[in-house]
Amino acid sequence: MNIRHRLEELKAEMSPAKKELEFTLKRIRKSPLSIVGAVIVLFYVVIAVFAPIIAPPVTSDPYRIWRDGFSLIPKPLGTPVEDPIARKAGWTVHYFGTAEGQFDIFYGCIWGTITAFRVGILVVGISLLIGLLLGCVAGYYGGIVDELLMRFTDIVLAFPDLILAMALVIALPAVALIDIGLFWAVVLCLILPIIAGRTLKLRGSSNLMLGIICLLTFLAIDIWILGSPPIWIITMKLSQLDKVLIALALVYWPSYARVIRSEFLRLKQEDYVEAAKAVGCSDFRIITRQILPNAIYPIIIMASLNMGSIVLTAAALSFLGIGSPIGYADWGQMISFARNWIWAGFQNPWQYWYTFTIPGLFIFTFVLGWNLLGDAFRDILDPTLRRK
Amino acid sequence: MGLREYVIRRVLLVIPTLLGVAMLIFAVSQLFTPEQRATLYITNEKQMQNIEAVIRLYHLNESVFVQFIDWISQVLQGNLGYSHTAKSPVLLALLRKLPATIELVVWSIPLILLVGIYVGTQSAIHRDKPVDHASRTVAIIGWSLPSFWLGIMLIAIFFAALGWFPPERMSTATANYIYLSGEWRSYTGLLTIDGLLNGQLWITLDVLRHMVLPTITLTTINVALIIRVMRSSMLEALGKGYIVTARAKGLSHSEVINHHARRNALIPTMTVSGLLTAGMLTGVTITETVFNIDGVGRWAALAAGGAGAVPDIPAVLGFALFTGIVYVFTNLIVDILYAYVDPRIRLE
Repeated sequence: MNIRHRLEELKAEMSPAKKELEFTLKRIRKSPLSIVGAVIVLFYVVIAVFAPIIAPPVTSDPYRIWRDGFSLIPKPLGTPVEDPIARKAGWTVHYFGTAEGQFDIFYGCIWGTITAFRVGILVVGISLLIGLLLGCVAGYYGGIVDELLMRFTDIVLAFPDLILAMALVIALPAVALIDIGLFWAVVLCLILPIIAGRTLKLRGSSNLMLGIICLLTFLAIDIWILGSPPIWIITMKLSQLDKVLIALALVYWPSYARVIRSEFLRLKQEDYVEAAKAVGCSDFRIITRQILPNAIYPIIIMASLNMGSIVLTAAALSFLGIGSPIGYADWGQMISFARNWIWAGFQNPWQYWYTFTIPGLFIFTFVLGWNLLGDAFRDILDPTLRRK
Repeated sequence: MGLREYVIRRVLLVIPTLLGVAMLIFAVSQLFTPEQRATLYITNEKQMQNIEAVIRLYHLNESVFVQFIDWISQVLQGNLGYSHTAKSPVLLALLRKLPATIELVVWSIPLILLVGIYVGTQSAIHRDKPVDHASRTVAIIGWSLPSFWLGIMLIAIFFAALGWFPPERMSTATANYIYLSGEWRSYTGLLTIDGLLNGQLWITLDVLRHMVLPTITLTTINVALIIRVMRSSMLEALGKGYIVTARAKGLSHSEVINHHARRNALIPTMTVSGLLTAGMLTGVTITETVFNIDGVGRWAALAAGGAGAVPDIPAVLGFALFTGIVYVFTNLIVDILYAYVDPRIRLE
C-alpha cells in the first residue's frame, strides 16, 4: 500500500506538465473574474453557434439584417412584425424593436456576434501569423535582421491603431489587382539563396543575410530598372468588411512580433536550446520544437486581450462610417444609426434608447469578457507572475 | 555618458524614425490611383481641373523612388495637399483645428494622471483588499467600453434627459460673441484661457461646461492604463529594501508612501506616456465626432467616412502623419525626462 502510494507520488513528480496544468486550473477556479470572463465568452460562443436557430434568416444573405418596412422612425420593443416574408420565417415580434429604416435590432445583435467573432479570430490569426514569422526570425537570429525588423515595427507602432486602420481602409481598393507572380518571385528570392547556403554549409544568420541581400537586389532591379512589370496578376474583389479585416491585421501584427521576439531572445539562451544546437538540430527544428512551445503563453495572453481591442477598433470604424455597410449585422454599424437619432431627436432621445443602448451593451460585454479572460490568463499563465 | 551626450544621441535618432514614419504614410498613399494621389500635391481647388498636369509635374506615373523624393520634398515644404472637406490646404486646416483638440487634451491629461496615480497607489497599498478589487474592476470596465457608445450614453443622460452638460464646443451666445461681436481677441486659441485674458469669465465657464462630457469620456477610456501601471510599479517599489529601512526608521505611513514609494513608482509610469498619447489621439478622433467638436479628430473622421462621400485622402493621410510625428516627439521628450530623472538610463 505504502509503496503504491509512493509510486503515485513519483509518477506525479515525473510529469511536471500535468502538475502545472492542475495548478493552472486551481488558479482559474480561485479567481472569480476569470470565471466571469469565461462565462461571458462562452455565452457569446453559444449565441454565435446557434444564431441560425435563435434568429432564423429571412433573406438569402443572413448577414443582412432583415427589415420590416422602410419608415425612418424606430419602433419600440415588442412591436408585432408586419412583413409577411418575415412572419413566414417565424418572426412574430421585434424583441428589441427596430432601428431607423426598420432593421430588426434583435436579429442584428445575434448575427453581429458572428461578425464580431469573425473579425476577431481572422485578424488575430493573420496578424499572429505575420508576427510569428517576423518575431521568430528577429529574435532567433538577432543582429542586423533583428535591428531592421524592430525599427519597422516601431514605425508601425508609432501610429494609433484606429488612425492607421482608417487610412488603410480608405486606401484599399474595392477591386484589388494582386501580383502573385511578384509575391512568389519575392519568396523564391528569399528561399532559394537560403537553401543554396545550406548546401554550402553556411551557418545561422549569415545564411539569412544572403537571402535578404538577394531579395533586396531583386526588388531594386525589378522596381528601378524594369519599372516593376506585372508578372502574374489576379483580381480580387474586396468587400468593405474585407478591407477592415486587412487593415486591422496590418495594424496589429507588430505587437505580436514584439512579444514573440522578446520571448525568443529570452528562451534561446536556455540550456535545452544550446543542447539541441550541440546535437546538430536544424534552426527550423529548434524554433518549432524547442522554443515556440515554451513561448506560447504570452502569445495566448496577447491574443485574448487583442480579441477585445480588435472588436472595439472595428466597431469604431463602423461607427465612423468606414466599416461594414448600412444594414450589415455588425454592432458598431447599428450604433452609428443611433448617432443620427441622438443628433436629430435631441428633445426626447430616450424615446429611442433601444437603438443605441442594446447593441452597445453587446459590444461592451463581449470586449469585457475577452479582457477579463486575458487579464486572468496574464496572472495565471505568465511564468513570472504565476507563483506570486 | 553625460546628459547632454544622451540628449544629442536621442535627438539624432529621431531623424530616421521620422523618415520611417513618412515612408509608411507614403507606402499607404501608393495604394491610391495616380488621379486620387494628385490631391496630395495641390494647394488649391483650381488645380483639380487639370489633374493630368499635376500627375506629370510630380511624376505620379513613374517609379516609387522618384515619387517619394517629390512627395517628401513637398512635405518638407509644408505642403500636405488640399483638403476638400476643410476647403483649405491640409496643413492650414490642421493648424486651425488644433486648438480645440489641444484644449480637450490639456484638460483631460491632468485628470487622467491624477485619478490614475491616486487609484493605482491606493490599489497597491490595499493589495487584494476590496479597494484593490474595486479599482481593478473599474479599470477593466473603462478599458472595455466603446468610447463612442460611452459618449452617446453620456449625451443621452446628461444632456438630453437632465440638460446639465451640452455637447459641441460652445453655446450660440459664446459663438456669437467670439465670431460676430468684434471684441474678441484670440491669444492662445484655447477658449478657456482666452476667455480669462479677454476678461470674459462667462465664456470660460461656458466652454468648461461643454467640455465636461468629452473629458469624462476621454478619462474613462484612458485611465485604466495609468491605474494598471501605477499599481504594478507601486507594488514593486513597496517591496524594495529602502521601504523597509524607512519603516524601520520609524517614519509615518504616509511619509513612506508619499515620499519613498510613490516617487520611485512614478518613473515607470512615465514610460507608458507613449501609449497614453496614442490613446488620446484615438480618443479625440472618436470623442470629437460624437460630441461634434470642430477639432482635428472630427475633421479626420469625417474626411475618411461619411456614407457615400468621396474620401478626403490628403486629410486622412495628413492627420495620420501628424499623429505619427506627435508620437515620435512625445517619446523623445519622455526619454529625455526619464534620463534626467533616472541617471541609470544614460549609462546603458
